[in-house]
Amino acid sequence: MREEAVNFGEFKSLVGIVANPAKQNKKHIKTAVVLLNPGIVHRVGPGRVYVKIARALASLGFVTLRFDFSGIGDSTVRHDNLRFEKSAINETRDAMDYLAKTRGIEYFILLGGCSGAEVSFETARCDTRVIGALLINFPITREEDGAANRNLIHQGAAYYYRKYALFSLRSWFNLVAGRANYRQIALSLWFEIKRWLTSRKSTFREATEFELHLRRLADRGVRLTFLCSEGDPRLEDLREAGGLGLKELCARRSIALEIIARSDHTFSSLQDQEQLMKVLLERADVIGPEEKEPANAFQVSPVAEAPKVLFHQLQSNPDCN
Amino acid sequence: MRLPKPVLPFYFGPADKRLFGCYHEARIGHTRNCAVVVCQPTGHEYIYCHRALRQLAARLSDSGFPVCRFDYYGCGDSYGNAEEAGLSQWLRDISSAIAEIKIRAGVDRVCLIGLRLGAALSLITASQRDDIDSLVLWDPVVIGKVCLSGLSSLQKEALRCRPKPIRQPKSRAYIEIIGFPLPALLCAELEELNLLTIVPKATTNIFVIQSDLPADGDCLKHHLSNHQVRFEYQQVQAPRIWLPTVDGSLLVPSQILQSVVNWTCRMHA
Repeated sequence: MREEAVNFGEFKSLVGIVANPAKQNKKHIKTAVVLLNPGIVHRVGPGRVYVKIARALASLGFVTLRFDFSGIGDSTVRHDNLRFEKSAINETRDAMDYLAKTRGIEYFILLGGCSGAEVSFETARCDTRVIGALLINFPITREEDGAANRNLIHQGAAYYYRKYALFSLRSWFNLVAGRANYRQIALSLWFEIKRWLTSRKSTFREATEFELHLRRLADRGVRLTFLCSEGDPRLEDLREAGGLGLKELCARRSIALEIIARSDHTFSSLQDQEQLMKVLLERADVIGPEEKEPANAFQVSPVAEAPKVLFHQLQSNPDCN
Repeated sequence: MRLPKPVLPFYFGPADKRLFGCYHEARIGHTRNCAVVVCQPTGHEYIYCHRALRQLAARLSDSGFPVCRFDYYGCGDSYGNAEEAGLSQWLRDISSAIAEIKIRAGVDRVCLIGLRLGAALSLITASQRDDIDSLVLWDPVVIGKVCLSGLSSLQKEALRCRPKPIRQPKSRAYIEIIGFPLPALLCAELEELNLLTIVPKATTNIFVIQSDLPADGDCLKHHLSNHQVRFEYQQVQAPRIWLPTVDGSLLVPSQILQSVVNWTCRMHA
């Protein structure tokens, strides 16, 4: 494997690393994987996991490119006031153009965590060169302002209390012994009540829009895999927003939903990272332009019960029809 | 409107241990006769500080300094795995980066700017070479044992509010800190690290800037005073940007960046 540092984009202002496979694999010779920034963390990723993923994918025979969007990591800030939602898609397409021009790549798999997953999804809708997307902790609700960010913190804490602390003897002991964070518990409880009430008001149309996008991508043969940390509240959001459509598509094996056991949002333990890598490599290896049928190679993890609440805030992209 | 110049990413160093660097060209018309090498922190601290150090490099290049940021072996985009990391290797990496920027910028004088462990490595490097004119130590790790104990507490705290990872046999090869392996060799080297045993060159100008009173007190300040080194000290109320934040944001302490740029410009006017 040989890595190369590159500048690309209209003003050569985007910085990335191309990992070239040491040995070519005929199966992936025309396919590259592009890794998109997980939030504002630069292309190395939390725990350097993007570097590990890129190198492991290169050892499978994929050309990979990990790069920074404008204003993140080493890439220069844009000066055209284009909103991130739009510029990120344009820049992902710039990355694909660059690989097409310099490496003769025809097909792309997009891989991203958090907001990178959202950009992957939106780019897949717009660009038919995308044949697969590996979406890690896909965010259903946007986090662009401080309030949404704060909500996510409370949501994360509430999810942790409900899913883990409630069943932990040590946590109960801490609660009784006065060693718990009572303020956080109270805030999380209040947040959960508020969230439950407001989510009931969400429109059905918003949820069907996301489901519709899922169905369109599946019909086009785009391989979507949602990878969710078991300890991440976004998993619940995804199941709720995906609704019956997600459930059906998973059952038909057009879409896969993988849950990374006992991991958190940023895969902050080495074991989380190992599990994530294993699943990503398995999934990427079965994505190819030649493949006609989903076949058994594209297995699906069990999906939760039907959703109770529906909400989704993705806006339709004007570039897409 | 003047568009900022894109940074130039490149690989350098020996073929089997290639290092990733980013070169910020000095602003045309204001070039100074001194290049800056930024020595980053390591592990999770590298991730959290990247944004601030990138902005620092941009400000310095705008002030006329050619700047090189680089990743140590086994860190960031450089070759190698974190399990192979060690202080002696990283000291060699700093020397490679100095040689590289001297060629690229065509200058002989170098300023090292280090943050946390990067600051400790900068001081050690500067004490062993004659071509380091100035040195900025931003919240340096002074005593390795104190740093190790802090990392250990941080890992315990991080595990408190997340699902417990599946129990696995404890590795003797490394300990884990926030998703990064800290290899046994590096732990042993950190145990031995003590900046109070390092005597800097009298010709090097040193600027120590701290965003908080360090766990090991202001012993470095006293140490530098005792050795009659030309140094300045500043304490600024600013967040400890190398620590994880609740909402995952990456902090940029503007006041510290400005102090570092002002001091460096003054030293190389």
